[in-house]
Amino acid sequence: MQRKKATAVFAAGAAILSLTLAACGGGSGSANTSTSGSASGASSSATGGYPAAAKEITFWGWAPGYDKAVEAFNSSQSAIKVKYEEISPGAKGGYEKMLNSVKANQGTCLAQVGYETLTSFAAQGALEDVSSYAKSSESEFAPGAWNSVKIGEAVYGAPVDQGPMALFYNKKVFEKYGIAVPTTWAEYQAAGKTLKEKSSGKVSLTSSYLNYDFAGFTWQASAPWFGVEGDSWKVSISSDATNKVSAYWDGLVKDGVISKAPMWDQSWYTGLSDGTIATHVGAVWIAGILKGDAKGGSGDWAVAPMPQWNAGDTAVGNVGGSASAVLKGCSDPEAAWTFAHWMSTDKDAFAGLVDSAALYPAATALLDLPALAKEDPYFGGQKIFDVFKDASGKVVTGWTWGPNMPETVKTLDDQLGKTWSGTQTFEEATKATQEKTVSDLKAQGLSVAE
Amino acid sequence: MSTTATEPTPAPVPADSPRSQASARRRLDPNRPSTLSRWGVIAILTLSAVYFLLPLWWMVMASIKPGGRQFEEPGLWFNGFDFFGNVKALLEINDGIFPRWMLNSIAYAGISAVIGTLLSAMAGNALAKYRFRGRGLVFGIILAAVLIPKVMFTLPLFLMFNSVGLLNNPLAVILPSVVSPFGVYLARIFAAQSVPDEVIEAARIDGASEGKIFFRLSVPMMAPALVTIFLFQCVEVWNNYLLPLMVLNDTSMQPVTVGLVGWAGSNGQQAPAGLIIVGAFLSVIPLVVAFLSLQRFWPAGLTAGAIK
Amino acid sequence: MTTPTLRTSGGARRRATRSAWLFLLPFALLFLLMYLVPLGFAVVQSLFKLQRSGLGLSAPTLTFDPAFNYGRLFGDADFIASLGRVVVFGVVQVPIMLGLALFLALLIDSRSAKLKGFYRLAAFLPYAVPGVISAVMWSFLYSPVTSPLNNALQDAFGFTLPFFSESWVLWSVANIVTWGWTGYNMLIIYSSLQTVPTEVIEADRLDGASSWRIAWSIKIPMVRPALILTTILSIIGSAQLYNEPAVLQPLSGGTITKTFTPLMSAQAQAAAQNYPYAAAQAVVIAVLVGVLSITFFKITNRGDK
Repeated sequence: MQRKKATAVFAAGAAILSLTLAACGGGSGSANTSTSGSASGASSSATGGYPAAAKEITFWGWAPGYDKAVEAFNSSQSAIKVKYEEISPGAKGGYEKMLNSVKANQGTCLAQVGYETLTSFAAQGALEDVSSYAKSSESEFAPGAWNSVKIGEAVYGAPVDQGPMALFYNKKVFEKYGIAVPTTWAEYQAAGKTLKEKSSGKVSLTSSYLNYDFAGFTWQASAPWFGVEGDSWKVSISSDATNKVSAYWDGLVKDGVISKAPMWDQSWYTGLSDGTIATHVGAVWIAGILKGDAKGGSGDWAVAPMPQWNAGDTAVGNVGGSASAVLKGCSDPEAAWTFAHWMSTDKDAFAGLVDSAALYPAATALLDLPALAKEDPYFGGQKIFDVFKDASGKVVTGWTWGPNMPETVKTLDDQLGKTWSGTQTFEEATKATQEKTVSDLKAQGLSVAE
Repeated sequence: MSTTATEPTPAPVPADSPRSQASARRRLDPNRPSTLSRWGVIAILTLSAVYFLLPLWWMVMASIKPGGRQFEEPGLWFNGFDFFGNVKALLEINDGIFPRWMLNSIAYAGISAVIGTLLSAMAGNALAKYRFRGRGLVFGIILAAVLIPKVMFTLPLFLMFNSVGLLNNPLAVILPSVVSPFGVYLARIFAAQSVPDEVIEAARIDGASEGKIFFRLSVPMMAPALVTIFLFQCVEVWNNYLLPLMVLNDTSMQPVTVGLVGWAGSNGQQAPAGLIIVGAFLSVIPLVVAFLSLQRFWPAGLTAGAIK
Repeated sequence: MTTPTLRTSGGARRRATRSAWLFLLPFALLFLLMYLVPLGFAVVQSLFKLQRSGLGLSAPTLTFDPAFNYGRLFGDADFIASLGRVVVFGVVQVPIMLGLALFLALLIDSRSAKLKGFYRLAAFLPYAVPGVISAVMWSFLYSPVTSPLNNALQDAFGFTLPFFSESWVLWSVANIVTWGWTGYNMLIIYSSLQTVPTEVIEADRLDGASSWRIAWSIKIPMVRPALILTTILSIIGSAQLYNEPAVLQPLSGGTITKTFTPLMSAQAQAAAQNYPYAAAQAVVIAVLVGVLSITFFKITNRGDK
């Protein structure tokens, strides 16, 4: 009597479920009123019929200040109405959301896409070629940035910003312990040891870095991770040049000068605020993160040029920088381009982005914006963009991004995590990422030259 | 069952159960548990209560602290009070998206559970009250479906909705949530137990249609059990995360689970970590309150299901 | 349990069959659409190979290659490791959780317990917290730097717990699951205990049997069906482990990888837009879980005959 037995077992469950599952009564009580909630939920997606007066396009991004730029655009004209929606940062689910939007034919027109991911998006067929409207604007942008939004003859959006790197350091902490601002990586390491000793372990030199932040270090060391040879990809995530960077960071981990706070976690913001994390080597837009989320550190921080491998060198890495990319299925690519171009080149709009997100413009005409010459009280009155203006001219050239970056950085993050916690070396991490990337690309049928 | 946590009344038992008769005898029992045993049991139970309540206690403490103090010490004790300020900030942040998420959750859970309960009741009724070809097979398939969790079907569902253009549509959450093999299973047991065949037979002789018999006779008789099934489904849908995460892309359509996890993953850019805790706390309150206030329904559920 | 059925004559029987199917139809239809069709759909997708070529700068194409994804899957060290991980998780966590649930149920049921309602409620409250919300909450409690638990431990005893270290992390996840579900399982067992006839217990007690002896030889055998049910539900729960590790992943410092559990692995493939491979993983997981829980179900039933 198998079934009889089965029934007995589940009857026991039935008894309890009946009492345990009373938990959702809130839903039951409000079930009648809830229909309207769902109905309005449905209607928000129905943006199909535009009013004849204004073309409506949706724009997804996460940089602070984009909302203000959109507002300014909407009030400056009436032909195009942009609806801005703040989403999770790309690597934190934002990119997946965009690709799903394309799949679902949601009609999202514009999205903030990092240069590092643009190639992968194009390869997925997720982007719309707007070269017919955009071509004439090429001369308005820094060549590096323009090359990032262009693949072959196709142009996929408007470059917004660049991400030249520098050293952010807590000046107050450095002064308190009598440490000079490091100009080389060796001095940087020494500063970390001094900080640790003099604060009896309370102050960490810096925290762990994620995928593209780490890539920025190898970028500076002229160790490009990808390249194209004929019709094949060359993958060089693991290389002698990368290994030099790896060995250095292994040393820092061994010295115990890296904070346990994971980058982007609230504990990281806390550390940046209260001075227990003393530096961050990162791109210009980190200034916006500090100002927005580490308010407690106001007045303490300062910016210096990126530490060098050899005294007197002037090589700079890059992290991020993004475009307003036009997604496939956009109902009005021309309107999308019009807004994207406006946001990247309008003086007032971009001044707002400089203030709120510390974006460094990709458009050359904006490089003398007054906002970029302002003294910033957060940084003790320093004109921080002077540092980045200088840095942006020194960003090492020859860096190429791969065709499937989301998958590559997925592996890299897993690997780097283990490395920061000290269970393997960076050389092992980059080697594993290299191998996984090559095998993934080959599994998809891409040709890879080794 | 005691209705408040502190009331020291004995276990919840229907008045006519053998247990309650025994409790009278118990008072005269010479062989009562020793003091040591009593204190030992209380100590262990208290320890377990600390384990279960401590994280919730922290959540309450963090929610009532003024914004920004959530991660300062003392983490597990009072440190200022600004609960209402926190709630106000939460309701206003990102153009009031949080209350929207709560409403969405209520809508998805409510609609799915109402329709799902009806479907389960009908199917359970068919399986319990009719003898027909294929009945065993249908029941076997339903039992097998109970044993394979729904989450396993999330990705296949996503792929299917993708190809039929139902992504980013509330139906993509509601349609799968409506189907509850376990609900059918329960309904079958309840229908067999609580609807006497004689009543149905009598109604048939009076010329009532099968549909009328079901809605006018069977449903009212099964009502307590249907409430159980309804609540069961409600909880399941309310807790659902992966399915809405995958099939709903529009932030304003998402339920509160997806929304809050999205905030937690936004690098602190969309909402400060302190507010995420307040949001988590608020999202739990309706369930807990409902759970407490519906305690009186438990015995009904018990007698409906536990007769076996 | 027997199923009472109406006695019917030939004509009435045909009518009954028709009515029964009419009642079944709405559910059956949706069941077909929401269970069987997606599964079939995933199976079909998994038979295709996502094909790109050259530099891969044009959209990928699908080619029919039934063995490709499954072949890749069995050579996928990450996926195999994720399967092994949830097996270890289940083998350790399920017995601990159910042991605890049974123990607490017996204690609350014992004559020594006071405030039964309070303890039952305390254990059950975590169940009212949705899985991902509880994971978000624990992610703050485990935070590598600002963990209030570690702060309290540091203040009181001078040590902290490495929640995210390689050797701890799986058990940190297990703790969240145990915290959330022990009370639920306890209530299933407890309610089953309420059906044990008191006369039997009283009789044994008068014969001088200790409380432990009564629990072991009378109560536990009587709640066996409830234990089987909770075991099956817990095995299923382990196999679908996703929410807790996925939420903790960014904090873990790499000890929770993006392919930590089989479902996370399938999700990661879907996120990378490799749907055929994701579908193959989903199909394999669903089949494994189905076989596992149905086998367990049959074994426990056969043992009873």
